[in-house]
Amino acid sequence: MAKVLEGPGMGLMKKWGIHVPHYVVVTSADELSKLGQANDWMKSSKLVAKAHEALGSRFKLGLVKVGLDLKDAVAATKEMIGRQVGSIKVTQVIVSEMVPHKEEYYCAVKSTREGSEVLVANCGGIEVESNWERVKRLCLEVGETPSPDALEKLSKDAGFTGALTKKMADFAGKMFTCFDNEDAQYLEVNPVVVREGDGELVALDAVTLLDGDAKFRHPDWNFQFAAEFGRAYSKDEVEVMAVDSKIKGSVKFIEIPGGDTAMLPAGGGASVYYSDAVVARGGKLANYAEYSGDPPDWAVEVLTEKVCSLPGIKNIIVGGAIANFTDVKKTFGGIINGFRKAKGGGKLKGVKIWVRRGGPREKEGLDAMRALKDEGFDINVFDRNTPLTDIVDKALQK
Amino acid sequence: MSILANKDTRVVIQGGAAGVNAARRMAEFCYLIKRPLNVEAFVYPPDAGKTNEIPYGSGLIAIPVYKTVAEATKAHSAINTSLVYIGADRAMKGAMEALDDSHIKVVSMITEGVPEKDAKLLGAHARKLGKVFNGPSSIGIISAGACRLGVIGGAFDNLVLSKLYREGSFGVITKSGGLSNEIIWICSQFADGITTAIGIGGDAYPGTDYVSYLEMFENDPQTKAVVIVGEMGGDLEERAAEWYGAKKRRVKLIGVVSGFCQESLPKGMKFGHAGAKEGMKGEGSARSKSDALKKAGAIVPATFGALGPAIKETYQELLKSGQVKEVVEPAVLPKLPKTVEEAMKADEVIVAPLIRTTISDDRGDEPCYDGYPASELINKGYEIPHVIGLLWDKRLISKQEAEIIKRIMMLSADHGPCVSGAYATILAACAGIGMSQAVAAGLIMIGPRFGGAVTDAGRWFKYAVDNKMNVDEFLAYMKKNVGPVPGIGHRVKSLRNPDKRVKELVGYVKSLNIKTPCLDFALQVEQVTAVKKDNLILNVDGTMAAVLVDLGFPVDSLNGFFILSRTIGLIGHWVDQNRQDSRLIRLFDYLVNYAAPKRREVPPLK
Repeated sequence: MAKVLEGPGMGLMKKWGIHVPHYVVVTSADELSKLGQANDWMKSSKLVAKAHEALGSRFKLGLVKVGLDLKDAVAATKEMIGRQVGSIKVTQVIVSEMVPHKEEYYCAVKSTREGSEVLVANCGGIEVESNWERVKRLCLEVGETPSPDALEKLSKDAGFTGALTKKMADFAGKMFTCFDNEDAQYLEVNPVVVREGDGELVALDAVTLLDGDAKFRHPDWNFQFAAEFGRAYSKDEVEVMAVDSKIKGSVKFIEIPGGDTAMLPAGGGASVYYSDAVVARGGKLANYAEYSGDPPDWAVEVLTEKVCSLPGIKNIIVGGAIANFTDVKKTFGGIINGFRKAKGGGKLKGVKIWVRRGGPREKEGLDAMRALKDEGFDINVFDRNTPLTDIVDKALQK
Repeated sequence: MSILANKDTRVVIQGGAAGVNAARRMAEFCYLIKRPLNVEAFVYPPDAGKTNEIPYGSGLIAIPVYKTVAEATKAHSAINTSLVYIGADRAMKGAMEALDDSHIKVVSMITEGVPEKDAKLLGAHARKLGKVFNGPSSIGIISAGACRLGVIGGAFDNLVLSKLYREGSFGVITKSGGLSNEIIWICSQFADGITTAIGIGGDAYPGTDYVSYLEMFENDPQTKAVVIVGEMGGDLEERAAEWYGAKKRRVKLIGVVSGFCQESLPKGMKFGHAGAKEGMKGEGSARSKSDALKKAGAIVPATFGALGPAIKETYQELLKSGQVKEVVEPAVLPKLPKTVEEAMKADEVIVAPLIRTTISDDRGDEPCYDGYPASELINKGYEIPHVIGLLWDKRLISKQEAEIIKRIMMLSADHGPCVSGAYATILAACAGIGMSQAVAAGLIMIGPRFGGAVTDAGRWFKYAVDNKMNVDEFLAYMKKNVGPVPGIGHRVKSLRNPDKRVKELVGYVKSLNIKTPCLDFALQVEQVTAVKKDNLILNVDGTMAAVLVDLGFPVDSLNGFFILSRTIGLIGHWVDQNRQDSRLIRLFDYLVNYAAPKRREVPPLK
């Protein structure tokens, strides 16, 4: 799942014939002034300026300004660019025309197990959230395209009447086409508005989630995916991601500030059970990490160094199930090198290490871990006969 | 009994290296359960027409590779299952090809990172055809004692430890590949083991979900209980709970769900498999799934650690009620043959060596020459001539000897472009031939008439000295038994036009005040022969030979000094011609004496 910011999201909708307001994404107030000279709509319409970042509650943070003329918009842009909110620094501002309207509606397409659902409501904005029963849906099998009749029925069911019935049906149809062709997982427009003047339906705000795995068949996805965290990725997280993109298998790393139990487990499934065990024992996670698919030892070494660098940690959980084909000796070799580097750099003082693992060459791998005791590591090593998450119980025992 | 994979399963593997690796693992399992290999064909267009060699026991089985699934099933009509090991961008096309083949009933996909839409299309297509599409991201399927599809089950030792050589009573369905192995192991330690274990993959929309497989397990009398390992996100576990609670089921259901940690994480933070994402308002959370399973009557241990005891309790109940019987383990199980290396490590075999070496060893972190580590030689000031001494004569030569060898090499490194060796290399270089072949062309010229007389010269001078011959006796012996004296005579140099290289080398060696019986003898020979004919002088080959014999180098190594030195020059000529981008050389007709018969009529063939 990959979140896309409003700018590129609106771009994709426009590509599939959905009306969107005029908009520009700028990185400086200067750029906006220049664009203002070149584009008539910026001079003739009232404008909205929003910080173009993966931030929640932008309105509350003062990062959305409405009813601006070009001069105000330039001033607002100047004010927003460079503002620091938590770990995110505002680097882009999206400036769009305000579309005068009276009514607001809702339209979305979401992925389901069977295929997808087209959602329509004849209310929009915050009203739709408190009146969720007014949202009507059309379920579609994968590979199925909604017929004009089905869309019109959906539109009618949602309470649209007269000329608007067909307009909303058309709008929903285009939303589906965009969803289907762009490998989207979720598309939401709230609100959809009737533009005064030509009476066309226009998408005022877009939430776009795409299937990152389908990037290979979309050469025009030239935009960055946004972090879904509501925060920017840290330097160490970005470094691990860079390694992950280069290797066979995978390494993952997410920091959780304030925790004292560091995680270095194997496997996308087991890693979550380990995290659950820490929480169940009243521990505080310092991170999430995972390596799987027999990654090269150097990649696991990089991951280990990042885990050892987490501040204030007391325990490191090197857990893992019985691997199918990940070579335990090789991957543990990477972890051991990482531990040695960390210790050489003055880290791991007073940190207890807990190991449990099975799989190809488990004996050699576990023996190598045990030997770290002789190098002065505080390490406790268990084999497959100790149940998966028991090392967490031992580590967090008071 | 088992589901999906059984003794009649015959497999085509679609894909390259990863598929071959899976076939190897599958062969290990077949060997363990004493069944023939269940992989019959590969489909991998780049290697079509070739075979992949799969070790089985101590032998190798050649499995053919085809271009298409249709070709594979036409040649092997027993194939009923396909494993997809193709990259994410081509996986759907490959899997569709398999689903559309009338022979194939089950398609399991290991590929990770497949677009959701593709997975859904494949699932829907399989359902329409009444077939099974398992995955994507599936570690595989294994039925104990019957069939392994993919690498599920891990290494050979683990197959044995997890008692996968014979049937148990527990079905297993997991999203996670690593945990499938863990649960198989737990079932074998806390109960009697598994019937079938299925990895359905960790994606949001697996092609086949828990419910379809639960239904199959329900209809498999051997399976008495099913363990499912769930994750937050999606609604697969809720659907499983719904299925279980809908009516009285024969199988017991044991389930655990991961993702409780989500409740105490910062908002929006998600991790684990792609499918592990929670919907709005807590739907798909670990807690809601866990609660749904409990409500439906499933056994839901509080933590993963409590799963073993819960499985044990279920097994004890099944034993008590007589639904399962205690298993008698087979007395002997096949052991996977060791590789020669493993067997040697365990002191189980003696191997007769194929070659024997007495000069060098590169098995450590650096090469050792006659036992001396290369870096230590460098750091203690030794040079190339010392390495020659160690590798050619197995001794650490003195500084003085090294200096002589260095001078011999410097004097012999090149002799201009006109000599046979250099000319051959240049000819080859101009014909666009690569360095090693062009240099080899030059080296091939080294022989009795060019540069290759060093060994022979050394041999006969040494023979004379060893047998205390005088010059006359020696020349008579040579005339009678050998022919012209090697090392004596030059094409262009003579007494009046002496070879400066010889003068230089003799002068230096003589200045050292060392014993040089061979050199002294060679110089005496020259005095006699040069009187007979002006150009019968001691040449550079003869001089080198005499000096090197005096230094104690074995006679057979002597040509090596010329070959080694001249290689420096030959490489230089090749590089020189290439740098100039020289044109192809063709001999001019005026440089040829055409002595063949004049053009004439060909007589009729009789």
